[in-house]
Amino acid sequence: MTRLDATRIVAASAGDSPIVASLGHPAYDLFAAGDRPANFYTWGSMGLASSIGLGLALARPDARAIVVDGDGSLLMNLGSLATIGWARPDNLVLIVWDNALYATTGGQETATAHHADLAAAARALGIDRAATVEDEPALRAALARARVEPGPWAIVAKVTESAPIAKPPFDCVFIKQRFMAAIGNPEPATRGL
Amino acid sequence: MTQSAPAWASAVGAGIDAAGIRHVVYVPDNPLAHVLRVLARDHSNIRATIATREEEAFGIAAGLYLGGARAAVLLQSSGLGNSLNALTSLLIPYQIPVAIVVSMRGDVGEWNAAQVPMGRAVRAIFDAIGVAHATAASPDTTADTVRSAAATAFDTRLPSACLLPRNLTAGPVVPRTSIASERVGGLAGRQPRERSGDLGAPASERVGGLAGRQPPSKK
Repeated sequence: MTRLDATRIVAASAGDSPIVASLGHPAYDLFAAGDRPANFYTWGSMGLASSIGLGLALARPDARAIVVDGDGSLLMNLGSLATIGWARPDNLVLIVWDNALYATTGGQETATAHHADLAAAARALGIDRAATVEDEPALRAALARARVEPGPWAIVAKVTESAPIAKPPFDCVFIKQRFMAAIGNPEPATRGL
Repeated sequence: MTQSAPAWASAVGAGIDAAGIRHVVYVPDNPLAHVLRVLARDHSNIRATIATREEEAFGIAAGLYLGGARAAVLLQSSGLGNSLNALTSLLIPYQIPVAIVVSMRGDVGEWNAAQVPMGRAVRAIFDAIGVAHATAASPDTTADTVRSAAATAFDTRLPSACLLPRNLTAGPVVPRTSIASERVGGLAGRQPRERSGDLGAPASERVGGLAGRQPPSKK
């Protein structure tokens, strides 16, 4: 399955849940799969999507926080798995697009092209509900379980690279304020004198 | 552990609480351990989450804010280097406010050369990336400095920092009289240089690496 096809499956199953997207191709594909205000697109801070998702899950236990990360990005912040595996928010669903490439930067191989197994790493660091999925039916099945079974979840989806077809808005503040309003905690006006 | 919290640490906890912060995310060091004990003991309304790395802490704090919660990041000055990409490519461009509490190393009283370059650069780095910062001067004013720095973050929607210098956090652990007696006892090799002469610091602000003081911090 291509990353875009897989992203469309996630977007279709997300309902109203907020989705945080890692910078570059994961964010581009989430936008292409269907822009919506409850999508938070990062434009920088490679590696931090799962951390943002963790904070969101802790602040909003009533919501299901979904993250679409990349294998290269997660490898940059592998400690995040240990923190998630310790905090164990039951409302966090971490999805990792594993194309074994740094695709956004030109297609250099990542460690998952060789020996690294991110689902095994998640499990080893305390995220019991970790799975690797290789095709669309398996991804759909994992997402269906993650909708009803308490997490945190780490779903590592093996995908093939697909050229991005669109990019999200560049305006970071717009992305943030639209997102916060959409998930029910609009950013408060700053205090006046 | 029965030790009571130093006044400056209680003041940091009070300032964080007064700013409406209900989540702290931290990478610990020795002075911050006092603050964490204060938070656990006196501020059960504040949840503390440890991060493996300072950059990660800022990511978690950003997510907390997106979910409607005010967060603080507690870190040692050495961790500012680990934080810069999160600050400059997430918090600042998205205007995500986070209160930053920096336990300073590398300033007056430092004994570890590896702490000095970043410690001395902290203020210049914050200035370079446009993060407002204030320095807590004494236990009496620390709560207000922390609260004020946090309020600056949430009012201006940018990260804002309160620095806790070593001459605040290292405190007068060893009374002056016992410092004198330990000198006689042959600890000269471990003594920091006399400070009252070259820096004019009062005895109450003396800092350094005497035996019996808290052990060296991380890194």
